[in-house]
Amino acid sequence: MNDIQLPPIDYAALLPMLIVFGLACVGILAEAFVPRKHRFAVQATLTLAALIAGLVTVIINRDLEVTTIGGAVTIDGAGLFLQGIILVLGIVAFGLIAERRLERGGAFVANAAHAADSDGDKKQLNEAGATEIFPLTLFAIAGMMLFCVSGDLLTMFVALEVFSLPLYLMCGLARRRRLLSQESALKYFLLGAFASAFFLYGVALIYGYAGSVQLVAIKQSVLDSDKSGVLLAAGLALLAIGLLFKAAAVPFHVWTPDVYQGAPTPITALMAACVKAAAFGGLLRVFNVAFETTSWDWRPVITAVAMATMIVGSILAVTQTDIKRLLAYSSIANAGYLLVGVVSLGGAVGSSMFYLVAYGFSVLAAFGMVTLVRDADGEATHLSRWAGLGKGSPLFSAMFTIIMLGFAGIPLTSGFSSKFALFSSAWDANQSALVIVGVLSSVVLAFPYLKVVVLLWLNPPGDETPTVSVPGYLTRAVVGVGVLATIVLGVAPSWLLDMVNSAGTFLAK
Amino acid sequence: MTVTDVLVCALGAVSLGAAIRVVTTNQIVRAGLWLVVALGALAGVYLVLTAELLAWVQVLIYVGAVVVLMLFAVMLTRAPIGRSDDLDRPRLPAILVGGGAGLGLAAVLADAYRWSYIGLSGVEPGNAEALGREVFTGWALPFEVLSVLLLAALVGAIAISRPEVGERREES
Repeated sequence: MNDIQLPPIDYAALLPMLIVFGLACVGILAEAFVPRKHRFAVQATLTLAALIAGLVTVIINRDLEVTTIGGAVTIDGAGLFLQGIILVLGIVAFGLIAERRLERGGAFVANAAHAADSDGDKKQLNEAGATEIFPLTLFAIAGMMLFCVSGDLLTMFVALEVFSLPLYLMCGLARRRRLLSQESALKYFLLGAFASAFFLYGVALIYGYAGSVQLVAIKQSVLDSDKSGVLLAAGLALLAIGLLFKAAAVPFHVWTPDVYQGAPTPITALMAACVKAAAFGGLLRVFNVAFETTSWDWRPVITAVAMATMIVGSILAVTQTDIKRLLAYSSIANAGYLLVGVVSLGGAVGSSMFYLVAYGFSVLAAFGMVTLVRDADGEATHLSRWAGLGKGSPLFSAMFTIIMLGFAGIPLTSGFSSKFALFSSAWDANQSALVIVGVLSSVVLAFPYLKVVVLLWLNPPGDETPTVSVPGYLTRAVVGVGVLATIVLGVAPSWLLDMVNSAGTFLAK
Repeated sequence: MTVTDVLVCALGAVSLGAAIRVVTTNQIVRAGLWLVVALGALAGVYLVLTAELLAWVQVLIYVGAVVVLMLFAVMLTRAPIGRSDDLDRPRLPAILVGGGAGLGLAAVLADAYRWSYIGLSGVEPGNAEALGREVFTGWALPFEVLSVLLLAALVGAIAISRPEVGERREES
């Protein structure tokens, strides 16, 4: 029985993930042993330290290309860059999660076990929020990092669960509007469980076809095999459903508006920025490594999904009256643009990653500013309440205008440069139909953004216009970084474009 | 036809028949017990196909834990238990979805493997030793990460369900 030997493990390559996972476990111990009044400071420091240490080790590893621990993890240029994106956006999102100056005790409920609107629930309104949120955030981020560098489909499934489960939980921890928050968590959980089951069934069918779940082995068996392709096609379809659900593509998008609206806004920001990066990292890896040679089979389907996502997302965004729902539909439409990058394969990997960075920063700033507009009941997210905010708070409105113009793709913002880079690489890959639909839908999508801008500046303020809170330094930093990135990546995008293009692609051997 | 073929077919027929009774009977406890038969017959199929560990896990988890949990839930929520006529949902959509998925998958699998034949002597039996060797060599990382998943689930379950210590005393 002594013949069990671990496969060789490259600890340096795994170090970023080990740090984040490890410090998350330390965070759970801190939850148990640190006295309550110090807990918040300890947890926040630990979380920030984990994210920064992870980022530093990713940067140190930047030239690494290795497949380790029995093929479960493939560290390569694109994978490391995606890990870096997730960590950077995670650090920025951390600023929103740790903010406690906007509302007494932060954005999260102190004691989620109280039934919504019960006496206990009302009593705890001003208590300090639960600090379990910090280790859960770290678990989610580490899971996303693993998801982007998985070398086989089973590791990918485990990583998918590791980052999904903490998100389901965190969606239900909003301080205000508990019922909406709990509903969103339950919806996300049930639909997510469905999607996971689809993913797993797809993995089983692909294993039946290829005899392996390793991405490179699947590619090889596609090249060699003379078996019936039906099993492969059915497996790929089920697998894609699981992945497209996380990416919020039509027709698997129905959860998005409800969950984005009900979840605490910092968690919504984390989902819109980091989860999007992770989901597309996984999609890009699966399609570029394992199924590149079968692109004739899946391209028409994913093209149709991308078109539907762009069109449905942008048209439904026009009709929204709640700023969080509007941003949710805009994130659906942006998932459609990113799918254009997936369909275009190899050449578009770099510009897809650029898009993820640009969109991530803007969306974090947008949700950061949503947390600032408040009245006595918490955030005032209905758009009618935003009318005329420009009169009282010109700086806030100017910054929100910049973000909205960035989303609309006005030149000199990151929205323009990222869309331009993505669509031009898709054009080079002969996906002209997708590019045309993409440009037309982004014209439609500009309308709701500009509507918000008009609402802010030109509409008369209502009787009960909410106040714009003076932000704490954390939210101020998040919004500042987001707005700055939106402008810098629009005015001078070339350095980041060089970086994504030199980051290399996915290791496929 | 070998003995194995006959056994697989017989157990499969038992499983299918019991599964049909699960959805057609209108006594909810009987549906649960028919589910035990269906899952147990499936465990028998695994056993005949030499996947002995999978068979015992099937018995332990599905027959032992899941069905018992379901029966407990029924007893705690629906007493008194007897014949109930409100168990039926619209049948046609259910038949279409369930039958479609089942027949579709059966067609895909039958098409993929046609009449290819794999003898029992050619495969390694699926016992605990073989599974352990797989889990602790090639799948070491996913296995370890699963423990992180369970830890996160544990912390989350406590965070959303357990009132703070001391607070309950105040309220009561």
